[in-house]
Formats: sequence, structure tokens, C-alpha cells
Amino acid sequence: MQAIHLEKVTKIYQIGEIETRALDGVTIDFDAGEFTALVGPSGSGKTTMLQLLGCLDKADSGAVFINGTDVGTLSPNKRAELRSAEIGFIFQFFALIPVLDAYENVEMPLLLAGVPAKERKERVTGLLEAVGLADRMKHRPDQMSGGQQQRVAIARALAPRPLMVLADEPTANLDTANGEQAMEIMQKLNRETRTAFIFATHDPRVVSYARRVVQMRDGRIVDDRIVGDGAMGDGVTSERVAVASVGAAG
Amino acid sequence: MASGKLWSLALRGLLRNRRRSILSLLAVSLGLALLIFINAFIAGVIDDSLNNSIRLRTGHIQIRAESYRDEKVSLQWQDLLSDLDTLMTRVDSSPNLVAAAPVLWAGGVLGTKDDSAGLQVVGIDVDSDLYRPIRESVVAGAFLAADDRNGILVGRRLADSMGIGVDSTISLTVVDSDGVPQDAFFTVRGLFSTGIVTYDENSVFLPLGKAQALTHTEGHASAVVMLLDDPEAAEGVAVGLRGPGLSVQTWADLNGSFLSTLQTAQGFYLILDLIVMLITAVVIANTLLMSVFERFREIGILASLGMKGRQVIQMFLYEATLLGLAGVGVGVLLGGAIVWYLTRYGLYLGDDAASAAGETYAMSSTIYAAFVPSHFVFLSLATLAVTILASLYPASFAARKEPVDALRAL
Repeated sequence: MQAIHLEKVTKIYQIGEIETRALDGVTIDFDAGEFTALVGPSGSGKTTMLQLLGCLDKADSGAVFINGTDVGTLSPNKRAELRSAEIGFIFQFFALIPVLDAYENVEMPLLLAGVPAKERKERVTGLLEAVGLADRMKHRPDQMSGGQQQRVAIARALAPRPLMVLADEPTANLDTANGEQAMEIMQKLNRETRTAFIFATHDPRVVSYARRVVQMRDGRIVDDRIVGDGAMGDGVTSERVAVASVGAAG
Repeated sequence: MASGKLWSLALRGLLRNRRRSILSLLAVSLGLALLIFINAFIAGVIDDSLNNSIRLRTGHIQIRAESYRDEKVSLQWQDLLSDLDTLMTRVDSSPNLVAAAPVLWAGGVLGTKDDSAGLQVVGIDVDSDLYRPIRESVVAGAFLAADDRNGILVGRRLADSMGIGVDSTISLTVVDSDGVPQDAFFTVRGLFSTGIVTYDENSVFLPLGKAQALTHTEGHASAVVMLLDDPEAAEGVAVGLRGPGLSVQTWADLNGSFLSTLQTAQGFYLILDLIVMLITAVVIANTLLMSVFERFREIGILASLGMKGRQVIQMFLYEATLLGLAGVGVGVLLGGAIVWYLTRYGLYLGDDAASAAGETYAMSSTIYAAFVPSHFVFLSLATLAVTILASLYPASFAARKEPVDALRAL
């Protein structure tokens, strides 16, 4: 069985009289350790897909399975537990808790998951070192640059050692250098941890790092292909591919 | 998740918008200080009125003839106490006794050359400690002497309004025991001012012997008034004094209308307390609701990290608890300062307010608050509870939202 499986998933948004099919009968699988970009124009259903994968929302029909569990059948508390254990999020606007410093932001999901103090410390310190912020642990978000904040967010997403990290436009608010640095860190951590990374993005730079590109339009998947060498989590160094056509679609 | 971390999050939540937190803290503090003030003030009014009434009017126990009716101020012999010596011997052997003396009450009219006023004439045993409050409140001239045959003590407010003073001559008309009006001239020996407006305006004092002579009630008295060292002992002492033809009443009976008014009033004060608490609650609920709206995104982030609805509620309840504790702390200090000041220096309400309080309340023109520790404890706990309860709606509102709705702003 695949780690993540969507079966004929439909999600409809009703805004006034207008009904929008954000997802229209989508069936797709994601594997542990994937590094995948969801691309497509605005309104194509990328973010909705992430929200359903992240158990932040429920499908109107069809089912989302994570490690074989139909998440639609779970109570809000069980969904919170599942999020806490298996899913990390990275948002466009970094979404750190402003009153917590870098260390505490990364520690938060571990506190919520009930990880013991000693292990928390090891993991948080290790992750902040891995994203190059060992000297910024006591800095609050407003004392850090956008690039640094996004790296804290990456460390936070990985802290619970989740099955997958869902990232919605992770580079949209970063300059080129910071965007590439963030992508390189995520790529490195993807290889080291075998955590799946699924990005919703318009950014050709992000797509260029992906090993699998899923193209969406009008709530449907119109293209799904392996663009790197297909190896998951191995030492791939030359998988950056020309994706001009995909980039144009975004 | 350790609740220590939630407390810390709650504290930081409060500290991030300091101005708003301080304003809500002030709402709690001022609400509590106001409640403490109101309750201490009301307790002060009650204590003051009851003490004044007991000290100047009713005493702790009164013995009267069974047929005596307060409202009639009858001077007919069958309505009066006779054989005062025997009765006083019994009274003097009562436990807890501080002072006791016979008193004669009569309705009368005081007249000057060009004015007259209806009032209560009180014939007193001028040597008795019972009348120390009157003796001590003489503000001009002197108190009466037992053998003074034409001296009278007049309230200063009455004297002022009638344009008389010490050594003025006035006429006093009373209806005697046979229903015949009796006239006599008196010289004002002294003016008293007890601070109880109704008293200072409506009473004159004569030595008991003179009052008896004027009303032809020699050897009789309207009542024997007793002052005890412990009000709680009154009931027991009264029981020991009951006998045929006698009516023995305690301060609780004698101030019955005051005490029953008090009971009604207490319901009203409770409503006042509730209104203040409600206003506090609305301010707190509003502040926290604003705080929830502002942090909607953040709640969504925490939810995406795996925070459960219960923990979101807990976080906001902790915030309200911290706000409430700080607010109660400041409120107790503030209310305590006000009460301290008012127990020491009092609040001058003026004679009109005291006069408006009327016959039922023997209210002084300056009111001293009463410090009641249990009020502080009860009001503090109630305010804290109200603050926490007021946060329940905003907290559950925050927790009810689907994480995706909270994150939509992202």
C-alpha cells in the first residue's frame, strides 16, 4: 500500500450562488520520501489538495488514506493527533508563532506530540543546526530575515519526523538566493530523513528541484511524471531539469 | 503538552498587546475596586445606622408596659411602667449590663415668639451612662443637671432653624396623662449635635423628674432602656426580664422595620454587584474575542501543528486566568486603599442625604466604610470566576474553527 492515497476525492466550495469544484474526482498516490511539485494555475486545486492531505479539511466525496487510515472517519482530535505525528506544514508566509523564539517554534509540535524533554532538545538543536540557524535559536521571528524564518519553519515541519511535509508556495516570499537555499535544505533533509515533500508552487525554481511534477488544472490532474532520475532519497545530484513548459503553466 | 508551556504561551499572548491587556486588567481592577467600595460603603451605612439607632434610640433591650404602643406615645398611666424602683432592681442585676435607665417619651410643641415646631420630648435620667452619647455631643452650653427644673437641651439644627441659642427662653406644650395640654417655659441650657439629622431636628431632652411633673406621670416611665456589652446576649437577658404586664423587646425587635428594609435592600445591592460584574465580563469577553480574531491565523498554525481544540480553549482560559489574577490583585489593592481611607476619614454625604434617609435609617451625615474581610475574599473570587467564565465563549469560538478556516488568510 502507498503511504498516501487519494481515492476519487472531490471538494466543492460554495461561494454565494457559484459552486467551484476545487478538486474533481482526483485519484493519486504519494510515496514515502517523495520530492514532488504540484503545479498549475491559481484555482487549479493545489492548495485544496494540500489541505486535504494535511487533514486540515474534509473531502466532500472520495477518501484520503494516510498509512491505510481513511482520515475522513477520524474525529477532530484524532486528526489533530495524526497531524501532530505524520504531517509537517510549511507556509508561504512562514507562519511562525510571533511570541516564540526559533527554538520554541521548532519545539512546539514536539510539545504537542508529548516528546520527552531530552529528546526534544536533541531534535530541535539538531534541526536548527541542519538549517544553519544554530546561532539564531533565541531569536524571535521579528528578529530574523524572511529566509531565516522560512528555515525555522522547515525545521519545525520536520521536528516530529513526519511521513510528509506539505509546503504551500514556500519560496513565494523569498528572494532568489534565500529561495534556493531553502530548497537545497529541503532537498538535503528529504534525502536524509526520507520524509516526503509535496510542494504547491508557481515557482519554476522549486519545480526544478522536484523529482516528480504533478500538473493540475480545474481540480483535475492533467499530467504526472517523474522528471528526475526517479530515485527516492538517494544521492541524486543532477535531477534539476528544464521545466519551462510547466513553469509557463504556472 | 505540558500545561506549563500553555501557561507560558498564555502569558506571552497577554504581553504581546500590552496596551489592550492593561486596559482589560484595569476593567477587572476597577470593577472589583468598585464592588469592594460599594459593599464596604453599604456595610458602613448599615453598621452606622444600626449603631446609631441602638446607641441613641432603642438601646439593646426595652421594657415597656404591655399595652404601650410606640406610635401613640401614650402617657396614660396604664400604658406606662410603674413601680420603677422594683423594676430597676431587677434590671440592674442583669448580666452583660452596661447601663439602664427609665425614660419618658411625649409628643410636644416647642414655641418661640414667632415660631413653633412639633417634636419628641424625652425625659431622661441625666446621670445615666445611657445618655453619654448625648452628653458628649453637646456643642454649646452645658448638659442637664438632675435637679434642673427649667433647663432643656435642644438639637442644634432645630435651634438654628428656630433662631434660638443657649439661654434662650422657649415654651413647651405637651398633652398630659389626662389629655390636658400643659404649658411651661424653659431655658435652653445646651445644644447637642449627634450628627443624626432626624434626631438633631426633632428631639428635646428634659430631666426625667421635670418631664414627669409636666405630664403628670410622676413615678412612671414609657420604658426602661438597657445597653449591653454584647448585642448577641440581648435575647437571653430579655428572657430573664419577662414578667406579667411587661413587654420586653430586643434591639432586633425594635429595629425590625430597619432590618426588614435591609433585607429587601440586600437583594438590590446584589443586583448592583451583578451589574458591575456583568460589565466587567462584557469587557473581558470583548477583549479576548478581539484577541482571538487577531490570532486566528496563529490558532490555525497551532492546529496544523497538532494542537487540539481542548488545548486551544485551555490556552485562552489560562490567559483569562492570568488577566483575572493580575486584575484581582490590583483591584484588591485599589479597593483596599479606598476602604482604608473611608474607614479612617469617612465620606461626608451632607445633612440632606442623611435627612432623606428618614426615620427608618438613623444615618450620620458622614459615613465610615466597614472593612469586612469576607467581602474581599468573596468579591475577589467572584470577579476571578466571572473573568474566566467570560473567556469561555471566545475560547470555544477559537477552538471550534476548522484549522483550514483559520489558515485561509495564509
